[in-house]
This record gives sequence, C-alpha cells and structure tokens, in this order.
Amino acid sequence: MLKGDDFRIKRIQQLLLEMAKGNFFYSLEPTDANDETASLIVMLNMVNEEIRASFLHQGFANAHNTPQCVVQMSLLLDSHGMVEMANQKACSLLSRLPQDVIGNALSELLTEDSQRIWAQKFPKLLKREKSDTVFPLEFKTPEGLILAKDCHLSVFHALDGSGQKILLDTVFFSKGEPFDNGMANNAMMMGKGTKQPKMPMSQADIRLIRNVHDMIINNLEKDLPGLKDLALQMGTNEYKLKYGFKQLYGTTIFRFLTQERLRKTKPLIQYSSLTLKEIAHMTGFKSVTHFSRAFKEKYGKSPSDFRS
Amino acid sequence: MKKSHENPYAVYRMTHDLLHVVYKKGISIDLKAAQHIVRDRMLLQEGKVIPVLCDIRGVKKVNKPARDYFALEGSLWVKALAFLIDPPISDMISDFYLGTHAPSFPTRSFTNKSEALAFLKTVMALVMVFSLGQLDIFAQIGR
Repeated sequence: MLKGDDFRIKRIQQLLLEMAKGNFFYSLEPTDANDETASLIVMLNMVNEEIRASFLHQGFANAHNTPQCVVQMSLLLDSHGMVEMANQKACSLLSRLPQDVIGNALSELLTEDSQRIWAQKFPKLLKREKSDTVFPLEFKTPEGLILAKDCHLSVFHALDGSGQKILLDTVFFSKGEPFDNGMANNAMMMGKGTKQPKMPMSQADIRLIRNVHDMIINNLEKDLPGLKDLALQMGTNEYKLKYGFKQLYGTTIFRFLTQERLRKTKPLIQYSSLTLKEIAHMTGFKSVTHFSRAFKEKYGKSPSDFRS
Repeated sequence: MKKSHENPYAVYRMTHDLLHVVYKKGISIDLKAAQHIVRDRMLLQEGKVIPVLCDIRGVKKVNKPARDYFALEGSLWVKALAFLIDPPISDMISDFYLGTHAPSFPTRSFTNKSEALAFLKTVMALVMVFSLGQLDIFAQIGR
C-alpha cells in the first residue's frame, strides 16, 4: 500500500494520463494537508476546469480544428437505489466492469460527500410519482479520480409494474481525435459563422483579443467606443477585432457587453434597494426600457418581476 | 457602526471603513455557495462600497462556476480587496484566480494580516487623493 506523498503522486499521474488522452472531466479529491502536493492537486483540478471550459467553447466557435465528442453516462436505478442498468460508456468512465456496477448500490460509486447528498435526496425523489431534477454528484473511480457533474434524474413508473425507477443521465465532452500538430503550432483560423476559415490568428492576436475581453469586463458601466476606434486603441484592425472576438468568445462584442452587463444587474436587482433606473445607469444601459427589454429577452422575466 | 453576520461558509464583520470576511476551515465553494456568500455580503453592505479583507486560509476548493461568479456578479461594491492566505494551497488558489480573472479593482494577497490592512489603507488613501484631482486611479493601478 502506498502512503502519503507516493499515494497522491500516483493519483496525480493518473489524472495527467487522462488529460493526455483528452479526458478533462476527471478531478482529484482535495486533501486535508496544506502542503505542496496538495496545492498541486488543487491547481490541477482548476487547470482541468479551465481547459474543459475553453475546450468546449472552442469546439463551438471553431469546430473545424478541435474535434470533440459527447460521452453519455446513463444509469438506471430501482426504488432501492440499486443500479439495474449501466451503459457501456458509464462503466468505462467509472473504470469498472459492468458486473461491478450493475446490481450494486449507486452510493458505492460516489464520493463520501455525494453519498451524504444522495442519502438525503433519494427518499425525496421517490415521494413524487414523476419528476425531473438536476443535482451535482461526484463519482469516484477505483483509481481515486473523481467525476463531478450535474446529473439529471428522471423518476418514472415502469410499465411492467415493477415499481418506481430512476434514470440518471449526464453528458461529458471529450476530444474525439488527436490534434494534428498540437495546438501551439496550429494557428487558429478565423471564419465567419460556419463559412470556411478566412485568415489565421497568431498567438499575439489571441492575446490582444483576450485583453479586449478583460477591458470590457472591467469597464461594463462605460460606453464602448465604436469598433473602429476600439481596434485603433488596442492596436489592431476592425476586421481582426470583430471576427477574432467572435471566434474566441462565440459572440459579438456588443452582445457580449450586454450579456455581461445583465449578469451584473442580477445581484443588484435581488440584493440592493436601488431603483431599476439606478441599476440601468450603473451597469451602462442607456435607459430602463432598453435594460428591461434586454433582461426579459435573456432571462424570460422582466427586472421588476425578478425582484418581487 | 459595527455589523456582523454568519452563514455556513463564512463570518462577516463590517465597520464603517472595512469589511472582514473569514471563510470557515476546510470549505469547498461551488456556485450555490458563492451565490449565498455574495448575497449575504451585499445585504450586509446595503450599497456601501468599501475595501474588503478576505481571509481564505480555510478554503479547500473553489470550482470554476464559483470563480466565474465571484469575478463578475460577486465583485460589486468592492473598492479594493486583500486576500489573507496560508501557502501553499490558498496562495495557489488566489494566484490562479487572479491570473485567470483580471480584477477591476486593486487586489493583492498577503500572508500577514497587518500588511493586508496596510495595503487596503494605502489604496484608500490613493483613491482619496486622486479623486480630488478627478483622475482615474483604477485605470492606472490596473495596468
């Protein structure tokens, strides 16, 4: 049996191996120790999360260069919380044989924290005839890697009269095939929508556009200059700025600005006594009408309904 | 004027010129926790924009949705922020957070509480001086 550091290093190696294969959905359990190895584990988990987010995002903005596939994990549970069926992908994600999953209690596949959550939620799930809920669960592989994900749980009655069943479903994103020459050598291509790529973006262009992103986020309440002036100010041209931003962030600069402004209005509506006019003004909206319309469009509720 | 508050994640103490937030030992922060933490902070502040001393020495983990929430929704009404850290874990968490989410106000990490307080005081003094001259201090400190 490995102890202390050796044990944790072994787990870090396992995680790195999965990352090398393109599986960014695993994580490691943080330990109670406050030492360098523990901090490396925390860092690896966060790096993994960031890669996961940008990976999915780039898949969306630039599917041409980053092939990805969806991995679905499905488990069918009976009314005692025992696994009746597990799809093949679920078994391989959990790195267990089907016979070690099927016929066993779901809680055996979970981390201690999730076992507690499951013990609380499970009886409540069965109280209702039919329901669809989502809550986060953490699965643990025998190697100690953790799969943390929001799981969809659908409760239903089996047609054969065998009682209530629960379908547990979740999806992971994975890289389907290896990158051709590695990301670093592969200059990203800019293209509008689904059209063919038009011009390559260098690392410097990408850095510049990230700066534009940060600049917008940190000045949400201020008026944004026109694209031409903004490009000039940042030392690039309008075309690169416009299409580069769309490519990196999957939306236009002005849509992004509105979206981030709206995010900021939410806590102000909920937790402050400011009037909607003041909130609109503070977050850079020209008028309450404009703010209310944009808010309703995004969240399906007007700001005043959201407040009450 | 002194106000305090406690929730399952942190203890808040507010005076007229400082908010002190101490996270509880061994906590993991997910989006739900982050929303709760920010909500309680804002209800306590009632619109007052002040410097914040944030003791994250007890924090074990902050996941990405929570980090993203803190960076935007959770950064309202903060004039300056000093993290109190205990290397290596909380040091790494604050480094990582600041490296991936550029803050819109002066932010730094300290292992020593009095240095953290001194930093917040200096920033506040600078803000006072520059606001008299109508200069945008944040733009300059941020660069």
